[in-house]
Amino acid sequence: MNKPKAYFFPLRPQPRKRGKLRLSSKLRSIQLIITLTFTAVTVLIAVIVSFMLYNKFAATAEKNANMNMQQIIEQVNYNLELYVKGMGSIFETAEKQITASPSIDSSLLGERMDTLMSSREDLVSVAVFTPKGKYVVGTPGQNMRLNTQLQSQSWFTSAIKSSEISYSAPHIQNLFKGRYTWVVSISKMIEYKENGLTKTGVLLIDFNFRTIDQLSRQVKLGNRGYAYILDRQGNIVYHPQQQLIYAGLKYENVEPVLAYEYRSYLDESTGEKRFITVRTLAQTGWKIVGVAYYDEIVTTKRDLNHFLIWFLGFVILGVIVLSIFLSWLIASPIRKLERTVKLVGEGDLNTPIDVSGAYEVEQLSRRFNMMLQRIRQLMDQIIYEQETKRKGELEVLQSQINPHFLYNTLNSVIRLAERGKTDEVVTMIQSLSKFFRISLSKGKNMITMQEELDHIRHYLVIQSFRFKNKFRYEIKAQDEVLTYQTIKLILQPIVENALYHGIEMMPDEGLITITAELQEGMIVIRISDNGLGMNQETLKTILSGGKTSGGSGVGVRNVNERIGLVYGREYGLTFESEIEEGTTVTVIFPAVRAQEGPEEGKEESVQ
Amino acid sequence: MRNLRLGVVLLVCLVLGFTVTSCLGTSPAYISTTKTHNVHMIVKMNKGDYWNTVKLGAEAAAKEFNVKLTFKAPDSESDIDEQITMVEESIKQKADVIILAASSYMGLAQVVDQAEYYKIPVISVDAEVGSAKVKTYVGSNGYEAGQKSAERLIELLNGYGEIGIINFTNSTGHQGSSGSIDYGARDANEREMGFLNYAARFPNIEVVQISYTSSNTSDAEQLTRDMLLNHPDLRGIATLNETASQGAGNVIQELGFSQLKMVAFDSSPSMMELLQNGTVQATVIQNPFSNGYLAVKYAVEASEGIEVPERVDTGTKLIDLENMLWPENQKLLFPFVR
Repeated sequence: MNKPKAYFFPLRPQPRKRGKLRLSSKLRSIQLIITLTFTAVTVLIAVIVSFMLYNKFAATAEKNANMNMQQIIEQVNYNLELYVKGMGSIFETAEKQITASPSIDSSLLGERMDTLMSSREDLVSVAVFTPKGKYVVGTPGQNMRLNTQLQSQSWFTSAIKSSEISYSAPHIQNLFKGRYTWVVSISKMIEYKENGLTKTGVLLIDFNFRTIDQLSRQVKLGNRGYAYILDRQGNIVYHPQQQLIYAGLKYENVEPVLAYEYRSYLDESTGEKRFITVRTLAQTGWKIVGVAYYDEIVTTKRDLNHFLIWFLGFVILGVIVLSIFLSWLIASPIRKLERTVKLVGEGDLNTPIDVSGAYEVEQLSRRFNMMLQRIRQLMDQIIYEQETKRKGELEVLQSQINPHFLYNTLNSVIRLAERGKTDEVVTMIQSLSKFFRISLSKGKNMITMQEELDHIRHYLVIQSFRFKNKFRYEIKAQDEVLTYQTIKLILQPIVENALYHGIEMMPDEGLITITAELQEGMIVIRISDNGLGMNQETLKTILSGGKTSGGSGVGVRNVNERIGLVYGREYGLTFESEIEEGTTVTVIFPAVRAQEGPEEGKEESVQ
Repeated sequence: MRNLRLGVVLLVCLVLGFTVTSCLGTSPAYISTTKTHNVHMIVKMNKGDYWNTVKLGAEAAAKEFNVKLTFKAPDSESDIDEQITMVEESIKQKADVIILAASSYMGLAQVVDQAEYYKIPVISVDAEVGSAKVKTYVGSNGYEAGQKSAERLIELLNGYGEIGIINFTNSTGHQGSSGSIDYGARDANEREMGFLNYAARFPNIEVVQISYTSSNTSDAEQLTRDMLLNHPDLRGIATLNETASQGAGNVIQELGFSQLKMVAFDSSPSMMELLQNGTVQATVIQNPFSNGYLAVKYAVEASEGIEVPERVDTGTKLIDLENMLWPENQKLLFPFVR
């Protein structure tokens, strides 16, 4: 038994060649498939969801930012409108007072003007000029400068031209000594009385531009966004970077603004995307223009963007880690199982399979283990049976030419011959000859019942000479039984047993009865003697115990084994025995008809 | 085998990641405003309307380009040492960029080289500095300004007569000693040069005196008085900076020398007053707001590594009574709502 175990399985799978096949099979591994599928699906879903969320949020954010900006501009517009309205009402008050006053240079009017001036901080000056540009009256304490060029200033010319209140663009007030102040001038042609005469003149009220500037400066549209104001002609009234625009360092695309009173649009004239919102002041016709930088409006969008990228990154990373882990969890017991099974496949049947993991895998492993155990049992059994069979056959072979039996028989023949009993000698030799012939039967294992019964008859004939008619025998067989098959030499050991152990020691004449019959498809042979019988212990050990009866024949146990091996364990010998009464051995095996009758005869003739 | 799988997974990740980022992320192509730039601006003097307007411009740019602006200036225009100390401080504080209006052309040269050594770009505003390391110069052309001033004054004088000039911060200690290092402010020298070169074309015009004032109005007033005393036939005065103009204007108004013509420099409100009442006939103005704004803008560009022009001329303008109320000049002349 030096051969490796592997040779138990001549058909075991040969180790496959390594290479491409190997790689592709790796790619088809459960772990990789699970990992990739899981990752791909999750990532795809995450990306789709993120994109949808992003688009949704981004659109909302943009809309909100846009609306927010419009609201801010609306608010500025409202504040400015309120302020301009206030300026207008002050102007009207002043106009009424001047027109109602009996004389322009009355001290009462002067006082009233003074009160008006002190009522508002942002009032810079009030004055009335003749249409020729000559100073008539104003708030006290004002001294005119030289070289004012007031007749060419816009507030003066527009007041002369129309009878409506006119609002000027912000400009430097250069009429009176003191500071040079940026003002918005309101002017109108009015009537006043001087020395009893009604005259016309231009009433001018200057408002500090600071308030408007502050109102506009407060506008915060993101970090870089701003608001600016245009007058009707498109001149810039206010711009946070006015100096830059005048210096030609900045450019504001005012044409599309001027075309509309109320509008919001996206402008790209400066190369950057900017949201422009236009509102118009009712009284002055000024346009409030809000400018917000698109990339600032969409800060939320960018933040969202950044967040989503990080989020996606983490999700993808997490999913990959998770799916690798998960697939490992699933695949590793399977792989372990596969490795173990491979070991088994290579012939190591003793490999214990102890794989823990998922329930299914554990079950698989357990069942496989059980199967393996069964295989091991069966293999042991096969080995045992093969060995027993070989041993049995060897014994049968030996018993076919039993020298001891031959020697005894020949001795008996010599004695008979010496006494001149020729007939007996002939019968004896004949029986011996036939006995051996059936014993050998060309090395065949199976013979017919006829032959077997003949064989035992010859044996009994020989033995009856040897035992000097110490026993009688009867062989009764049904005719149909004779054509059935049987294993050869199954009766001789039993009869031998009966002779040597049952009858030889008996004082009286013994009787051996052999019956053979067909019962329900089975051949039942009974060998009974009226010998000494056996006790229960001997009965028990007769089939299992190691003792064989002398060297003269094949052991009873051997007969039982052979029947069992050929027909199955349920067939074989049964013993019934009673001390001093005798023993009956019953042989049962399935009835199988012999097929090769003619062949037998042919061979017979050859021998 | 396990490495291969890992590689495949990583590759898939990377590809996905790149797809996502490239779809969502876009980077702006103009000056980055996400990073705060630390810009130090050191000018000649911490008072005067001119420098305040420069500061206003710088602040406007700082707001626009997300700049943390540190504004520093000595008390006097002639305090060169103080200015050098300030530049050294800025180098120590690791400014991203230094914007410098040098009080002295040569005096600040060394410290500018030092800044360059520490990889801090230096940008010159208003007045140049004698260092080749300066990235760019933002300011008006002093020579041209001087010529404009001369042109108008000579026109006012009908081409003949004596002229006096009051200039600033030329280190008097070195005056006349030829070959010595020029420690004066570059812009002062250039204006004077421009004026003298233009005046030289007119044989009947004689520049009888050039006085130098430190940045101090009373000093300028005294110099004017001395000049008028020394040259009774003086027909015209040209002043080449704000303080000199204020001093001279005050004296002329005080003495009521209505026949004396004067062309001033820069536009303080008091100068406007003098211009309007006829004491001063014209003034040459620069564009301090633009100077400040552009200096900061180019500072940011320089620190971002964007190529900046070597010289940016913000221009000069001659203002007289006639054009002082033109809307576009109003914004230049009168500092916008303080």
